[in-house]
Amino acid sequence: MNSSHSLKQILGQGHFAVTAECGPPKGADPEIILKKAEYLKDKVDAINVTDNQTAIVRMSSLAACALLKSAGLEPVLQMVVRDRNRIALQSDILGAAALGIQNVLCLSGDHQSFGNQPQAVGVFDLDSIQFIQTVKAMRDEGVILGGESLSKAPDIFIGAAANPFADPLSFRVTRLAKKVKAGADFIQTQCIYNLDRFRSWMKQVADRGLAEQTYILGGVTPLKSAGMAKYMKNRVAGMDVPDEIIKRMEGVPKDKQREEGIRICVETIEQLKEIPGVKGVHIMAIEWEEAVGEIAERAGLLPRPAVE
Amino acid sequence: MERVIAFFYCQNTPSSTETDRQMLEKKYGKNIRLFPIPCSGRLEPVHILRALESFTDAAYLITCPEGTCRYFEGNLRARKRVIRAQQFITAIGLEKERAGIYMRSAGNTKKLSEIVEELFEIASKLPPSPVFRYSEREV
Amino acid sequence: MITAEQKPIDEIRKMIAPYKRILVLGCASCVAECAAGGEKETAMLASTLRMAARMNQEDVVIQEKTLERQCVKDFVILLDDILDNYDAILSLGCGAGVQAVADMYEDIPVIPALNTEFIGETKDQGLWVENCLGCGDCMLYYFGGVCPLARCSKHLLNGPCGGSKDGRCEVNPDIPCAWQLIIDRLSRFNALDRLEEIYPPKDWSKKQGKGPRKIIREDQQK
Repeated sequence: MNSSHSLKQILGQGHFAVTAECGPPKGADPEIILKKAEYLKDKVDAINVTDNQTAIVRMSSLAACALLKSAGLEPVLQMVVRDRNRIALQSDILGAAALGIQNVLCLSGDHQSFGNQPQAVGVFDLDSIQFIQTVKAMRDEGVILGGESLSKAPDIFIGAAANPFADPLSFRVTRLAKKVKAGADFIQTQCIYNLDRFRSWMKQVADRGLAEQTYILGGVTPLKSAGMAKYMKNRVAGMDVPDEIIKRMEGVPKDKQREEGIRICVETIEQLKEIPGVKGVHIMAIEWEEAVGEIAERAGLLPRPAVE
Repeated sequence: MERVIAFFYCQNTPSSTETDRQMLEKKYGKNIRLFPIPCSGRLEPVHILRALESFTDAAYLITCPEGTCRYFEGNLRARKRVIRAQQFITAIGLEKERAGIYMRSAGNTKKLSEIVEELFEIASKLPPSPVFRYSEREV
Repeated sequence: MITAEQKPIDEIRKMIAPYKRILVLGCASCVAECAAGGEKETAMLASTLRMAARMNQEDVVIQEKTLERQCVKDFVILLDDILDNYDAILSLGCGAGVQAVADMYEDIPVIPALNTEFIGETKDQGLWVENCLGCGDCMLYYFGGVCPLARCSKHLLNGPCGGSKDGRCEVNPDIPCAWQLIIDRLSRFNALDRLEEIYPPKDWSKKQGKGPRKIIREDQQK
């Protein structure tokens, strides 16, 4: 793994970037996240750390990122607007920068009713797009909301999520355009199983000139089982899992399904490499971080390039 | 133990004229109270509650068959209102059966007197209402 | 209007248990519209509470009365003459009404019979839906008459999020995705380009105030 900011540099130098995702533990043990990180070391350029994903209380993303950083890895700090108001969000940006955490993914966050604290208030003081704008102003103009100057501006590589498969479909490209306009330097998409639909989205994105204004990384998630594929198809909003994928997964015996899932994932990455405007891949193998290395290897993504 | 059962009935019920009513009142005496209404949909839950509060052990609403209400949906609304009244009475420990609805089935041509007899039989199986255990019924 | 629902009767009975002469006070305005606290509902609750009292041999007087509004002093003051007869008021007003009455008659406990819920509309008979948060800074123009604060689960001003599915909200599939509604509505007026602009952060201080908010109009004063 390289020194700080390698994600930005790698993308800047035109390499096909690789990021992965890692969930902090539901407890105070730092070893858990460090162990996950071990699987990812040297396999990826940066590691996303989720922020109380699904509104389930976990070790804070900022703390987990600091741990990764101290272990020589490059984190991407995911920050949701669900739990913190603008004071806390801006404060955490300054804290992250001070800790040398320079990649931030600005997200809305799953609604609090989904998690284990459904009685909590959902803050949503800013939305994800306003948050991107805020971070950009902190970085480029050295000011917080309202215009007051910072003593030192944070240097942040700003990311956002995009979902080419969610409704309303007609509006997805406009929403991406807003995120780019707000200041998103890079985009990680929802995981892709339907390459045709993704290709047509990318075409619209490229036609609007957005692929030049931001680095788009296609998301992938290796399927562990046919059951998982069906679950994602039927029960997860904003997910498009074509029937052929389900058939492929169902077509192999249970003990071979993980292997098939990895195979599909590798094939998807190889196709993503060929799509104009796609500048990298974001591998989300939550609770299966061990698979990332194998996927990266087989997709020809290793070794990761070194940067100064 | 003296029972009093109240019947609210749609005037469309077969053989439910004034004369029929008087005959029934003569037959059952103080044990029944009869209330004709233009449509069962006119009954409000409060009518059932006030009846149970004041003088009756059980109150029934007799409606026309589904699809035959002359005001289209009065009988369907009536059913929902009886359910609402039941929610209130069960919340204080009264049996749900003390408020009932008799929706005549399609083609059921039973006369008011026959329905009253049937329901009176059923209602008599309920113990006397605890509302009057320690206090008088209002006449 | 303001909507409310009756509290469970158990809860109401617990709260009124210490009192012997109770005025069950209805309101003919918003809570009548949502069938929670109007004259009919007040009569139903009073009757039920009387039955419960009789069943349990409780020596208590329960009477009812319905005011036009409980949140306006001129109506509440009509209680002046009768309050001596009671040692508690069980109010079927919304929270505003309960407190207005309580503030006017501080020597008598005023107990809420309802849970006040939201500002909304009567969408259909028996159906009330929330549509306004009282943010003090109405943005309905920008969003084609659909409020993203009240009707989007995450009150996004630059929505939708990734959880919109077939026009429903992933948080609550019972409700439409407000952003789908906004997009559809603005499309009708050919005003979809309004959404290309980034809507800036909301000034929440207009909703929060510094404590309970107030409106003063001198031209309306005596």
